[in-house]
Amino acid sequence: MAAGNRQQSLTARRAGGWLAGAALLLAANLAGNWLQAALALPVPGAVLGMLSLLLGLLVYGSVPRGLAEVSGALLRLLALLFLPAATGLFFLDDLSPLDWLGLFAATVFGTLASIALCALLLKKLLRRYAPPGSGEDHHA
Amino acid sequence: MPDSLATLLVHPLFVLPLNVAGFLGGLWLYRRSGTTLLHPIVGASLLVAGILHALGIDYGDYQHASAALYALLGPAVVALAVPLKQNLAIIRRAAVPLTVTLCVGAVLAPLAGVGLALLMGASGPVLAALSGKAVTTPIALAIAGRVGAAESLTVGIVVFSGVVGAVLGPPLMRRLGAGDPRIVGFVLGINAHAIGTARALEISALCGAFAALAMGLCGALTAVLLPLLVGA
Repeated sequence: MAAGNRQQSLTARRAGGWLAGAALLLAANLAGNWLQAALALPVPGAVLGMLSLLLGLLVYGSVPRGLAEVSGALLRLLALLFLPAATGLFFLDDLSPLDWLGLFAATVFGTLASIALCALLLKKLLRRYAPPGSGEDHHA
Repeated sequence: MPDSLATLLVHPLFVLPLNVAGFLGGLWLYRRSGTTLLHPIVGASLLVAGILHALGIDYGDYQHASAALYALLGPAVVALAVPLKQNLAIIRRAAVPLTVTLCVGAVLAPLAGVGLALLMGASGPVLAALSGKAVTTPIALAIAGRVGAAESLTVGIVVFSGVVGAVLGPPLMRRLGAGDPRIVGFVLGINAHAIGTARALEISALCGAFAALAMGLCGALTAVLLPLLVGA
């Protein structure tokens, strides 16, 4: 019986952690929106909320478990959250065929060109500043 | 069609389960096929679009009934702070190369897209939507609102770039001699955001950490710079 009670109180504590984590995300989001409106900044409120939460976590020193679990769950569901917007792609009928062609080429070739240039640049810079297995590398 | 049925079809009580079912279907297709080309969002949006067409549901009504999902996008962006914090220690050692690459990549990724589309003669709304192509979808949506781009077009481009980058990126980088997991992860995070990050996590945990970092930083940087550039 005692073990059952302990199990129950543990579950209650985890649920409390989730609620606190969710409340923290909402609060940071609201704070970001408020900041954006109050200072008339060009940055979306949610991004300001993300930055302020990051700052808070840096000051706090670690990520509370409930917040980590709620965030992980939310990020795994991202595809569901933007499903309505993505579905709209099939209901766009005011684009000309030329627009579609430009869109397709820009996406495929633009993405590949940018990937190649970024990778070569980072490779060169890493070799100069932080070669793999150098000095204090404790991951190797 | 009787009126009551038509009302039910555009009610959140029907539309939200429809979204969840479409998402689960997309997830199932993705795991079953084992190919990155069928990322859950690709299968799910095809399924939902098919059902909307079949039942004759207006897209605007459907979008309106899905408001609960839109409301969660803000907290999801905020949640990106968690992987950022958790990976902060790993990147300190490579801070200079990562910062330089991030700044170059954040400018290059949208520029390459917009430049090519301009050469192909695409029109203004397409160019505006392309400018947000390198950032993860929830941030891209927030930016699209600010620079006046069509949000479904923006999401479509983000998803399509992500799939192209995640599928073709790693072999391309290996061929260029840049197969270091730090490079593959970071570059995928810049150019292929969430889908690239998921792909990087399949390669290795270190690769995934660098991708999550790049995705968050690139999103924040673009979100700050793009509205300033477009507004100017």
